[in-house]
Amino acid sequence: MKNRLKLLRVERGWTQEQLGQALGVSRQAVNALETEKHDPSLDLAYRIAVLFARPVEDIFDNPHA
Amino acid sequence: MLSLGPKQTTAAGRRYVIRTMAFMAGYVAINLAAIFGAFDEIIGAPVAWALALAVSAPVMGQIWATLMLLRESDEFVRSVIAKQFILSAGIAMAIATAWGFGESYAGAYHLPAWIIYPLFWACFGVVAPFVRSSN
Repeated sequence: MKNRLKLLRVERGWTQEQLGQALGVSRQAVNALETEKHDPSLDLAYRIAVLFARPVEDIFDNPHA
Repeated sequence: MLSLGPKQTTAAGRRYVIRTMAFMAGYVAINLAAIFGAFDEIIGAPVAWALALAVSAPVMGQIWATLMLLRESDEFVRSVIAKQFILSAGIAMAIATAWGFGESYAGAYHLPAWIIYPLFWACFGVVAPFVRSSN
């Protein structure tokens, strides 16, 4: 799923490891999200949205829209 | 036996490695003792079933360790490992089935059934590098 996760992470100067810790997932999971090798669950998508204080669809493109 | 990278860096991954090494140490120890004749007196007797179950217990333990890794990992790691596990199990079963019918119909050399376990992990080792996505 296309997303702006890497852009948002880099804007804040975070590493994948730091973002993973903030979200409660592994660095591998963050990398997989950024490289579109993993579509997040709704729960994880909302956690990401809360962390970056943005709506989910600002971070993840809705493939059905 | 499982890995998503050059080394296990998550707490769940480290617990998995410790559990697997502990179970495999038991598996190797019992088999080495058998190879060096520690159980020669009971081989072929009904009591040897206890030995067969004892050497199988670490295998069940290792599968439990894998299931715990799935439970304790995040959604991406869980999904990828599950895909790798299912694919490897399918390939191992297909190979074992083909060989079994080879024994029945084509006179293939008889292989012991316990070989399915190392065969499964061999398949896992081949499959895992190619399954890196949860999609």
